[in-house]
Amino acid sequence: MSPPLQLAAHFTQYSVLLYFFAVNSFYTLLIILAWRDMVRHSHLSTSRAARRQLTGEFYYKPVSVIVPARDEEAVIAESVRALLNLHYPEFEIIVVNDGSTDGTLARIRTEFALAVSKKPVCLRVPHEPIRGVYRSPEYPNLLVVDKENGGKADAINAGINVSSYPIFCSIDADSLLEPDAILKSSKLFLEDDELIATGGIVRVLNGCEVRNGAVTDIRLPRAPLEAMQALEYTRAFLLGRTGWNALKSLLIISGAFGVFRKDMVVAVNGYRRTVGEDMDLVMRLHRHCADNSIPYKILFLPDPVCWTQVPFTLRGLLRQRNRWHRGMIDALLFNRAMILNPKYGPTSLFGVSYFVFVECLGPLIELFGYISLPSLWAAGILNTRFMLLFLVLVAAWGISINISAVFLDTYNFRRYRRDRDILRLCLLGACEFLGYRQLTLLERVRATFSFRQGHWGSQTRKVMDKETE
Amino acid sequence: MLEHLTGSPLFYDYLGWAVLLLAAFNAAQIIYLLWNKARVESAERRKDELRRLTVTAIMNSASPADLLHPPADEEEYEACSESIAGVLDNFEGEIAERASDLLRLFDISGHYRKMAGSGRWYRRCNAIDILSVFKLEENREFLLDLFEKEKVKEVRYRILRALSLIVRGHDDITGLAFRLSALPYLTPKYTEDLFYNAVTALKTAGLEQEFGFFMRQIMRDGRVLTLVKRDCLTACHAAACEEARALFRDYYAAYPEEPEILAACVKALARTGDLSLLPGALRHPHWLVRLAALKSAHSCREGLAEEISGLLSDPNYHIRLNAALALAKAGERGSAALRAAASSGDRFAAETAAYALGQEAA
Repeated sequence: MSPPLQLAAHFTQYSVLLYFFAVNSFYTLLIILAWRDMVRHSHLSTSRAARRQLTGEFYYKPVSVIVPARDEEAVIAESVRALLNLHYPEFEIIVVNDGSTDGTLARIRTEFALAVSKKPVCLRVPHEPIRGVYRSPEYPNLLVVDKENGGKADAINAGINVSSYPIFCSIDADSLLEPDAILKSSKLFLEDDELIATGGIVRVLNGCEVRNGAVTDIRLPRAPLEAMQALEYTRAFLLGRTGWNALKSLLIISGAFGVFRKDMVVAVNGYRRTVGEDMDLVMRLHRHCADNSIPYKILFLPDPVCWTQVPFTLRGLLRQRNRWHRGMIDALLFNRAMILNPKYGPTSLFGVSYFVFVECLGPLIELFGYISLPSLWAAGILNTRFMLLFLVLVAAWGISINISAVFLDTYNFRRYRRDRDILRLCLLGACEFLGYRQLTLLERVRATFSFRQGHWGSQTRKVMDKETE
Repeated sequence: MLEHLTGSPLFYDYLGWAVLLLAAFNAAQIIYLLWNKARVESAERRKDELRRLTVTAIMNSASPADLLHPPADEEEYEACSESIAGVLDNFEGEIAERASDLLRLFDISGHYRKMAGSGRWYRRCNAIDILSVFKLEENREFLLDLFEKEKVKEVRYRILRALSLIVRGHDDITGLAFRLSALPYLTPKYTEDLFYNAVTALKTAGLEQEFGFFMRQIMRDGRVLTLVKRDCLTACHAAACEEARALFRDYYAAYPEEPEILAACVKALARTGDLSLLPGALRHPHWLVRLAALKSAHSCREGLAEEISGLLSDPNYHIRLNAALALAKAGERGSAALRAAASSGDRFAAETAAYALGQEAA
């Protein structure tokens, strides 16, 4: 083999190995940071503290819950009923019908006997025109906004304008909040004036038993595809986002469940119309506060839970991952001023760098590694020992990270109570590298080259509530 | 280094050990997880049982300590303290005294005082949270001492909250206000909660006038933050301090340039039924003061209809909306003003007036 080719092969193998080593080391660091954060949190977030807040005379801030909904006829009534059961002293629910083409509005109007409200709307952030606002005489804290279609971000903006309270929570129409989720997440806004946004953990609803809008029995989904996503969510939220808290670099608050200070979101002109509106908003909040020297905190909380349906078909899953990846690239490009910019401190150094080099470029490097190393090995350029080392690094270390995420979750929160579910999660952690990871990786690579497509696509929902069924 | 590793004759040994180590680590995690889960579930059952026993003993026996054994470990302390805290929250008189006696006899308070000296700040926070629920006066000196030694802000805020629940005079509250002002301002709700606790504790002890002394004492005192003063007024308002009317008027006069204080005074005074500040407040240049006056004017019926109708074309959305809602409740004169505004050329005034008329009709 010619020396230049040998040099190129050496360079390739070293780069790929170094990349995987760096990424896995970073994940391990995140586990340690997440562990510390969770232990601290479990000491401070006691049932006693929650009770004090719930029973306290005025120890709360009122919250507006904004639910953007487009073509959600199947689940909307169930979701609203669940929200009406939230344990919170003062809140309003604002459902924003974003130009649905099915019977979403009709369903909700009939279900809650809505009447037209003429309350003038204060236009603070831009959105498509509102066709009408409705209020429920039976539930005075339920408002429904009917507007022209403009996408999720646009719908939340309309909800912000209609809302009356200083804090708002945006959740997906197909998600279910645990009754005390708002209580736990809004508590932090009382304790710290610097907090501008927080998000809770999103868990997988598939497989769980739901009655009257509440999750009554938590189970791991039977289908391996859905169960694998349960593992992914656990890892991404508990390990990833909790770890980011410690590095002051949280860049994503899930669109499925985020709580924000309204004045700050209005100050950045609300949500931007993009497929990754959740990450984009958090990045712009970071930028706004850093640019204007506003002391601020953006935190992830591991115990307020939002249950969400995950795709149950491979096609749906790949479409979702494609959208997430495009959204992330778009958010990073729009906020490119934050890339390796010391002005933005640790957020830029750790958070933005991670997203650029690991989440954004990572799929390309990883795919390159999956293709080049076996090819080089087959061509006899790469020695077997190096290949084995690479496999241990990727697979064995990766499996340990997955199992640590399950450990962290079960040790601290014990959501899955059945031993069988815990063992299955661990087993799935070992199997993730046998196809699932590669499939989602290919979709992310595909998304990298088509990120300019702005459409959302749609997700099929299942009615989960036993009573509704 | 990599070549050194892959070229080493012990490479397969190293690799084998690495794989074995990771596998052992994973297996250990899983085994420990399942064992811990079983342990925690059993501990929870034990704690539930102990909680039930403790509450039953306090409710049914004059000397509950005879029926229970002193807590032996952290879980038992937790169960005991939670049940006693529950009793103290919900009962007064003899039952609350029995619960407090149990705290002393079993030295539960002492246990958490020890825990409050822990090296980890979050454990100290938790211990102080528990001590604060007990509301034991004998903990005051300990908490004051702890506050002086403590370096972590989060713990210091919690100590102040614990102290606010056991105030017994205006000296205590003044000390609280000074200590609070020495720390970075946290949130209005936190400060309100603190002084609300103080007012409630004083009211329970029949010493409500002490809060009035305190408020006068700090009125001109620059060492207490203006924001803290404002929150004291709000706490007064929330705790329905009847004797503070004159105080609110004095603060209103003393701080003409502080809209937050003015708004708090207007709200607090209106809550006592005194609407004398409203006409001036409705004309105040700062929207916060006008808004506070408007919200209080909802109960004012016909008296201020003319002043309020002028605010229907206020540049601030909240003022317009609340002016319309106040007018809707202001009898015939208010309704007439709304009808006139609803057909006026001012789009914003017309929309809010139409909305308020619709609300009133509904």
